[in-house]
Amino acid sequence: MNAPLHASTGWTRRAQPLLGSLVEIGVRDDGANACEAVDAAFAAVREVQACLSRFEADSDISRFHALRRGESLPMRTSTSCVLAAARMLQLDTDGAFDISLGSAPDGWRCEGGRLLKLDDSVQLDLGGIGKGHAVDCAVAALIANGCTTGWVNAGGDLRGFGDAEWPIRLRDEVTGGVRPFASLYDGAFATSHYDRHSRSRLAHAVGGSIVRAHVSVAAPLCLWADALTKVIAISGDTAHPLLARFGARAWSH
Amino acid sequence: MRVVVAASVSALVIAAPTSAFAVDYLSADQAAKLMFPEADAFEARNVTLDAAQLQQLDAQGVRGRSASWPVRVAKRAGATLGFVVTDAVIGKVELIDYAVGIALDGNIRQVEILSYRESHGFEIRLPAWRKQFVGKGSASTLRTGDDIANISGATLSCNHVTDGVRRIVAVVALARRGGTLA
Repeated sequence: MNAPLHASTGWTRRAQPLLGSLVEIGVRDDGANACEAVDAAFAAVREVQACLSRFEADSDISRFHALRRGESLPMRTSTSCVLAAARMLQLDTDGAFDISLGSAPDGWRCEGGRLLKLDDSVQLDLGGIGKGHAVDCAVAALIANGCTTGWVNAGGDLRGFGDAEWPIRLRDEVTGGVRPFASLYDGAFATSHYDRHSRSRLAHAVGGSIVRAHVSVAAPLCLWADALTKVIAISGDTAHPLLARFGARAWSH
Repeated sequence: MRVVVAASVSALVIAAPTSAFAVDYLSADQAAKLMFPEADAFEARNVTLDAAQLQQLDAQGVRGRSASWPVRVAKRAGATLGFVVTDAVIGKVELIDYAVGIALDGNIRQVEILSYRESHGFEIRLPAWRKQFVGKGSASTLRTGDDIANISGATLSCNHVTDGVRRIVAVVALARRGGTLA
C-alpha cells in the first residue's frame, strides 16, 4: 500500500480490535509512508499483547502461570519493562499497586532477565499497566517509521506526539456520551472509572473493600499515565507524591 | 507535555454529556485492498446460509444471527486469494462496522474497524437512531467526529467485535464447505 488512505483529510486514521478494546492510530500524512508506519504500530501493539495477555496461551504471563514454585522463564522486552515498572510502583505505594491483585504480592521476582515464580498461588494481571505500555510501543514504532505527528488511543489510554494539540473528551460510562475535558500537547492521558457497574474492579490491598473512583492522569509516557490512575483511584489523592516523579498531573471527576 | 483543562470544565462535569461521536476509518473497498494488496480484482458475493447451515453454526456455539453476509472475494489473475466480510455490531453505547480478511487456509489475515459511532446507551437502542446509518457508505455518513478528538474514559469493550469475527470465520468456513463460496 503506497498511497496513504484518507489523503484528502491530511490524516491516516485506522482502528483494530486489540488489547480487549479498540486501538485507534492516527498520523499526519507528511511524507512518511503513513500506512506502513500504522501497520508497524499495530504490530507493536500485537507484540505487547502476545507478551502480556492472560488470554493468550503463549504469552509470558500465561506461561508464568503454568510454572511451579521455584521455576522461571526468560522474559521478552515488554514483559521485563512492564514488570519492572509494576514492582517499582508496588514498593513506592506500600503494596497498594499490586499486579497480583492480592493473590500473592511477593510471589514473583525479576532476576537476570528471567521471571521467577515464588508462590504457587500467584496470578498476575497487567490490565492496569500493560495497555499504557502498548501505546508507548506503538508511538515508538510510528516515530521510528518517520511519522512526525500522530496519536495512539487504546480504549481511552492515549498519547499524542508531534506538533499538534490533541483535544481530549471524557466518556461517561454510566450514561454514555462524551464531553470535552482538556487539550494535550505531546503527552499521554488515561482515565479509570471504578464503580458498581464498571467493567473493571479495583480493591484496597488492606481490607479488600471495592474502590469507587473516576480519575484521570496526564503524564509524558502512557505507561505511567495508565498505572498512576490506579494509584490515584486507590489513594484518593490527586496530589499523590508519585505524580511529580513522573511529571504527571491527576484529576478526580 | 502540556495539558490545558477546558475553561468551563467544572460546569461541564455537572452538565449531562450530550454529544455523539462518530468516525469513519475506511470504506469496505479500502479495507479489502489493505488486506489483499496483491489482489487485482474483488468479486462481490452474498453468502446466504440455509436453515441447516444455521443449525450447524448453532451446534458450533456460534449464534448465526444473520442468514446473509456480504463477501468480497479477492482475486489475482482469476485465482482466489481470500475473502473479506463486512459486518456491524451494536454495543451498549456504540455501533461498530468492521471487516475481516480471511486467507485461503481459513486463518484471519486482518481485522479493521471501518467506522465507529457512539451515543447515549438508551439512544442507540432507538430504531430511529439506528436507521440513520442504514444504507450509508463512508462518503455519505454523518461526520460529527471529524475533528481529531480523543476519547478517554472507561475502557470500551470489543467483545462484540471479537464475537462477530469468530462468527464470520465460522460462516466463511461453512459456506466454503457447502460450495457456496469457492
